[in-house]
Amino acid sequence: MKKKLLAVLLTGAMAMSLVACGGGSGDTSQDSAAASSDASSSEASSEASSSEGGNKLTIWAWDQTFNILSMQMAADQYAADHEGFEVEIIETSSDDCQTKLTTCANAGDYSTMADIVLMQDNSYQKYLSSYPDAFTDLSNININWDDFGALKQSYSMKDGVHYGVPFDNGAVIACYRTDVLSEAGYTIADLTDITWSRFIEIGKDVHEKTGKYLLSSEANGGDTLMMMIQSCGANFINDSGQAYIVGNEVGDACIDLYVEMIQNDVIKLVNNWDEYISTITNGETAGIVNGNWITATLMTTEDQSGLWEITNMPSVDGVASATNYANNGGSSWYITSNCKNVDLAMDFLASTFGSSTDFYDAILPNTGAIACYLPAGESAVYNEPNAYFNDQAIFSTIVGYSANIPEFISNPYHYEAREAVNTAVINIVNGTDKAAALQEAQETLEFKMSE
Amino acid sequence: MTEKKNKSAIQRRLVPTYVFLTIVSLISVFPLYWMISAATNTSTEVSRGRILPGTHFMENFRNLTAQQPLWRALGNSFFYAILTTVVCLLVCSIAGYGFEIYHDKAKDRLFSILLLAMMVPQVATMVPLFQMFSKAKLLNTAVGFILPMISTPFMIMMFRQNARAFPIDIIEAARIDGLNEVQIFFRMFFPTMRSTYAAAGVITFMNAWNSYLWPKVIMTDNKSLTMPMLIANLITGYVTDYGMLMCGVLFCSIPTMVVFFVLQKQFAEGITGAVK
Amino acid sequence: MNSKKKGMTLVTKQRAAGWAFLTPATLMIAIMSFYPMFRAFILSLQTGTGKNMKFTGISNYTRILADKVFQKSIGNTFLYLIIQVPIMLILAILLAQLLNNRDLKLKGFFRTCVFLPCATSLVSYALIFRSLFATDGLINSVLVNLHILDQGYNFLGNSGSAKIVIIIALVWRWTGYNMVFYLSALQNIEYSVYEAAKIDGANGWKTFWGITVPLLRPTIIMTFIMSINGTLQLFDESVNLTKGGPANSTITMSHYIYNTCFINVPNFGYAAAMSFLVFIMVAVLAFINLKVGDTRD
Repeated sequence: MKKKLLAVLLTGAMAMSLVACGGGSGDTSQDSAAASSDASSSEASSEASSSEGGNKLTIWAWDQTFNILSMQMAADQYAADHEGFEVEIIETSSDDCQTKLTTCANAGDYSTMADIVLMQDNSYQKYLSSYPDAFTDLSNININWDDFGALKQSYSMKDGVHYGVPFDNGAVIACYRTDVLSEAGYTIADLTDITWSRFIEIGKDVHEKTGKYLLSSEANGGDTLMMMIQSCGANFINDSGQAYIVGNEVGDACIDLYVEMIQNDVIKLVNNWDEYISTITNGETAGIVNGNWITATLMTTEDQSGLWEITNMPSVDGVASATNYANNGGSSWYITSNCKNVDLAMDFLASTFGSSTDFYDAILPNTGAIACYLPAGESAVYNEPNAYFNDQAIFSTIVGYSANIPEFISNPYHYEAREAVNTAVINIVNGTDKAAALQEAQETLEFKMSE
Repeated sequence: MTEKKNKSAIQRRLVPTYVFLTIVSLISVFPLYWMISAATNTSTEVSRGRILPGTHFMENFRNLTAQQPLWRALGNSFFYAILTTVVCLLVCSIAGYGFEIYHDKAKDRLFSILLLAMMVPQVATMVPLFQMFSKAKLLNTAVGFILPMISTPFMIMMFRQNARAFPIDIIEAARIDGLNEVQIFFRMFFPTMRSTYAAAGVITFMNAWNSYLWPKVIMTDNKSLTMPMLIANLITGYVTDYGMLMCGVLFCSIPTMVVFFVLQKQFAEGITGAVK
Repeated sequence: MNSKKKGMTLVTKQRAAGWAFLTPATLMIAIMSFYPMFRAFILSLQTGTGKNMKFTGISNYTRILADKVFQKSIGNTFLYLIIQVPIMLILAILLAQLLNNRDLKLKGFFRTCVFLPCATSLVSYALIFRSLFATDGLINSVLVNLHILDQGYNFLGNSGSAKIVIIIALVWRWTGYNMVFYLSALQNIEYSVYEAAKIDGANGWKTFWGITVPLLRPTIIMTFIMSINGTLQLFDESVNLTKGGPANSTITMSHYIYNTCFINVPNFGYAAAMSFLVFIMVAVLAFINLKVGDTRD
């Protein structure tokens, strides 16, 4: 009896799927709805984005305590004077957002895209250049662009046209354990406004006296080298968009310094992000140079509270354009071409992320999201001392840094360039001749940039 | 008396086997132990490499359920995985049976061709598949979710290979008794091959449960969140709470283990017990 | 006369039933796999991005000849194949054989333990392998305490040892999985065959090679093909354990193809061309396997 029942069930299930596999027929969605009692409802086959004239926007973002929470607060604020407005935020990692976008674009069907998506600044240019039809240009949005730093704007622009509303700030900070520094006889002032060669001197000394490293860096996919070169307003790709690893004087200087640090126990080279984090939580490393979003991770190590302080990053020696400032990470909001209610989406973004100091003041204590919106930095909330960082007013400091970041041309091949030079560095550290390693990196990058 | 002696002698001879299996088991289970233990520690403790169990399980669990719809994701994953498994086993076992019991040159050739289907990397076929599903209006549907997974050359091959052990005389006898071909399949083959169904069921359930890339690409709303998507959500933030992550991973791993545990008796009993 | 006619229709009926049984699965595979494969092949003859694709013939295939990273990934993948697959399958048969002993106690317990690795979520497995083999991880602590090493060795940071870690991880994860197939196949063998062998005085080793292996032959072929396929399409370990590093020394073909689609500036035409090369490699190896292994005529 039982077996018979099972057989009937099996047959039924198969019949259903075969009917559905015929595809395209009108009752397909009903079948699927019946099949998925609650998993996907009868609106299953309807499009993902808002309906025309509706009051709802769908959004992709990826961090519950950070950009998702910020977006939710923005929606709540906007809904206060726009009755019926709501957002549905679908947690979609930045990798998944890219996978979905690429798949949709190549299949020529954007209907499953959200109305507004959050994307990493470093990866946006490659999608804008590959799939310009995926995004809505923001020429008509009511935002005073001068309120955002020029570099930050450049990440989401092409040919003078804006596509994104900048969100979080990626200004690079250097964080140091003051207890370790003082054990070796240094203060945070000794590490402020310094060059990398001074950093190496201190780093060797610290390692000798305390056994700790002054910096950790990821061997694969790490950003340290990219931050160094960008702090000079340069890149491994030149202004006309060609691979520029060989013969790049600024790049050479950065690579020399980086290799020297690895070989002299100033940098602890780690293999992945977990190891990177554990060098911090274990107290193995006394310093970090990264985008300011790293502070959120730091602050989860509660027993190191009060021991950390921040300052600016070291600058590259012997380069005229060198500064102590760079950008790493950060993200912006984009309206997709699947958005049926562009006016609503623009108005929503403009009146929250694009112009509201109140909004930025509100999200800062809850999310730690530091604005790229420059007027926000002047408000009182940004000047509050932070106990974790020994009562430094880190937020206004970081906003201050972001005004000093030199511009460089952002381009679609950021990750290719990063991978090529990181590979070259590992080869050099392992004994390959520098010129040969760089030549190989140059060829790899040129190959990837060719069609 | 002698029988008892015999038994203890047999057990004594098995001592090296026990030792070997114990070592293998320990190595196999250690990461599982670590996972459970990590789910009871704070993020910082996990990151510092603590191996001993801690006392923060409830805290991790509360954080997890506060941030993610755990029960809905479990429900969705069960729904999709069970549906996929049932349909896949039926479609593939019938095909495997057909290929083996009625085998001839043409069918063998067809089978070799079908085998080719699993040899292309998924990334390459994903875009064309997405395009087809978009035209068939199957994006964001349960059918779209399971369809690419229900007929796999691997499962057909498994049933085909195992059908070789199925005694042909039973079929002949059944035919003489007047059963038609479909009846023979369901009344004779189906119950007899319990062990194969159980093993295939475990594997299919596991694959369906863990599938990530395709579901993520075609499902677009929060309602269809599955466990692997939930885990992905836990690692993509700027800050990873390792304790909470491992708590989520634990919930994602338990069902596949339970399925194995429940079905393993079946496939370990095998055909010998069932025919008699 | 009458009965003969009836017999004819029965045979026809049986033949029809045979084909009918195959139809659903075959149709599904044709629609879900072969058609997309055909489309991917067309794609592999085009270059460009998104909608701006244009036909350029075999240029994507000749591009492979100039791609040093992809060539490296082919070498890596085949190294994994040659070393890992035999170790894993032999271990799996051995375990299945041990667990198929009627006199063994705690069988269910051991069986579950051995299977558990492949049911363990990829995330936790990747996390723990990374932390086990970290420079200050458990493995290094043990080696240092046993005075085998003076200081921690960066297993994941050196190209040779990183490959070994990947092989160890693969063996750990998939041995139990393959064991399941052997065990379920062994159950289909009458136990009396073994009893008879024992009476004939065959020892364990002889029984293993003389009875178990020949009877398991179809299953061995199946797992071999599966493992070749799985290894040549290896992705998870390369992405999650080493990110393909250091300096691309552990990157696999599928990982590189994935990067070409979703991490770097997307180039689907080229990715499709590389995928077809993988397809051809797997198909050739699988074909050889079937020919060598299949004794049924």
